[in-house]
Amino acid sequence: MKKIIWIFIIFPMLLTAQESKKFKKRVLESAEIDILSSYYTQSGNNAAVTGGIGNEDLQDVATNINVSIPVNADDVLTIDATVSAYTSASSSNLNPFTGASSGEDDDDDDDRPSYTKRAASQPITGSPWVASSGASKSDVWLNATLGYSHSSDSRNTIIASHLSVSNEFDYSSLGGGLNWTQLFNKKNTEIGLGINVYLDHWRPVYPTEIKTYIANGGNLNADFFQGVNIYNQSGFVIDKNSANAWKPQTDKFISNKARNTYTASISFSQILSKNMQISIFSDLTYQSGQLANPMQRVYFKDKPNFYIGNPSDIQRYTSPDNTQVFQLADAYEQLPETRLKIPVGVRLHYFITDFLVLRTYYRYYFDDWDLFSHTVNIELPIKLSDKFTLIPDYRYYIQTQAKYFAPYNQHLSSQTFYTSDYDLSAYSSNQFGIGLRYSDALMDMKLWKLGIKNINLNYHFYDRTTGLKAQIVSMGMSLSLE
Amino acid sequence: MKNKLLFILAMSFILFLSSCQTVKPYQQVNLNDPDMKLSSYKFKKFVTTFQVYREGASGANGGKSGGGCGCN
Repeated sequence: MKKIIWIFIIFPMLLTAQESKKFKKRVLESAEIDILSSYYTQSGNNAAVTGGIGNEDLQDVATNINVSIPVNADDVLTIDATVSAYTSASSSNLNPFTGASSGEDDDDDDDRPSYTKRAASQPITGSPWVASSGASKSDVWLNATLGYSHSSDSRNTIIASHLSVSNEFDYSSLGGGLNWTQLFNKKNTEIGLGINVYLDHWRPVYPTEIKTYIANGGNLNADFFQGVNIYNQSGFVIDKNSANAWKPQTDKFISNKARNTYTASISFSQILSKNMQISIFSDLTYQSGQLANPMQRVYFKDKPNFYIGNPSDIQRYTSPDNTQVFQLADAYEQLPETRLKIPVGVRLHYFITDFLVLRTYYRYYFDDWDLFSHTVNIELPIKLSDKFTLIPDYRYYIQTQAKYFAPYNQHLSSQTFYTSDYDLSAYSSNQFGIGLRYSDALMDMKLWKLGIKNINLNYHFYDRTTGLKAQIVSMGMSLSLE
Repeated sequence: MKNKLLFILAMSFILFLSSCQTVKPYQQVNLNDPDMKLSSYKFKKFVTTFQVYREGASGANGGKSGGGCGCN
């Protein structure tokens, strides 16, 4: 680990050993600060935590601060930090039975000061369509990144490195990267190469019924299950000691909790004319380790169904009218321990007139899970005045289904890999956006000692053919220290 | 044979691009416009982030390629 830090931090700094004494324009004249905040909300009916059906409502508030500090004429130090706090109906249903059992449960809820153990006579309810009040319904993702870049005297060569750390309740990450950029042909042509590594680690959390089953050696009368009736598809109470009682197929906890990502990036940019330039790029990515998410339930169509809650809602289980019964999972998501991703993107930007620019983007993606996709994005910044720019944009995305995906209750228990996460299903999406930017190169407006370079306000609406809809509002500000 | 053909096409494309009109620095006024920068807008950082979470594809868009988060 110390060797990795040495490589990513010290290496670019060593390149500054021999500095020219001649005058040269600084890469960055003064410190700059970029602040970005957003509010995201989504709705849908295919929650992965509840096996491909259920409430997908989610809200997220995120803020990013990026500070760039000129160390000298050639070098820039960058500090980046992000905080993202979300509330999710689907992740709350990791334990859909809030305060469920009267046994000595170890689920999330009894960690809360307000937790009151359920009385034995109190009925249990739960539903994939109703958000639970469990602690898993919300979480905070934190990220910090430190970067350093060095430019040659000619400004034709740029070497950069970064280190990053991230953390959320069930996941932590340590990452790093190196990038090299070379300009030539009088800065008309640019080639970039980069490598990025993420050494990540799960702290797996499981659906309550599976976690409790494994922890108690399959005893359906202990812990969470104590005093709780389990019903069959016909609504009758089952004998929990019977050999035909509910038994999940994934009956072990995950042993390999590592999840590593290695990316090799290449880019090529070329000025085509005084008004047009193009860029072609790719991020070849190889992932290994625990790539499945153990939170996400899977149901098999060749296995009998078992429920906890009010049996009168069993016949309408897949309808939002079901508010009182929950189907016990047959397994948690299983996916291969490797994945190779190959995206190739193209950007073509054209300066149409003094007040109109056309920005186009296309990406083709494929991986060895048989997922193929196309992405097209068009942005049209329109300069309304020397200070205000309106930026409408449209994005179209389409993907095929990953080979391990099937909808709720369609997988077979004989399969080795299975997921009902609709993010891996076949669908297309349309995204519409509009933004307004205020720019002032002279920075007449000030915030304390910081000049305001620009302010952005943006709205995007995302509509997926699976029924998921999302909206995001972002506000950003760029400041410069005078 | 197919790989050789792809290699020849790729090299031809790169040579073609290199032979494009060389624009001198003092002629690059329009190319230096902030909206002409060949990268995603900074203000779309969180838009790109939610796309990485909600879509099976990732990478080649200025965002994550799958690491650093429990995402696709």
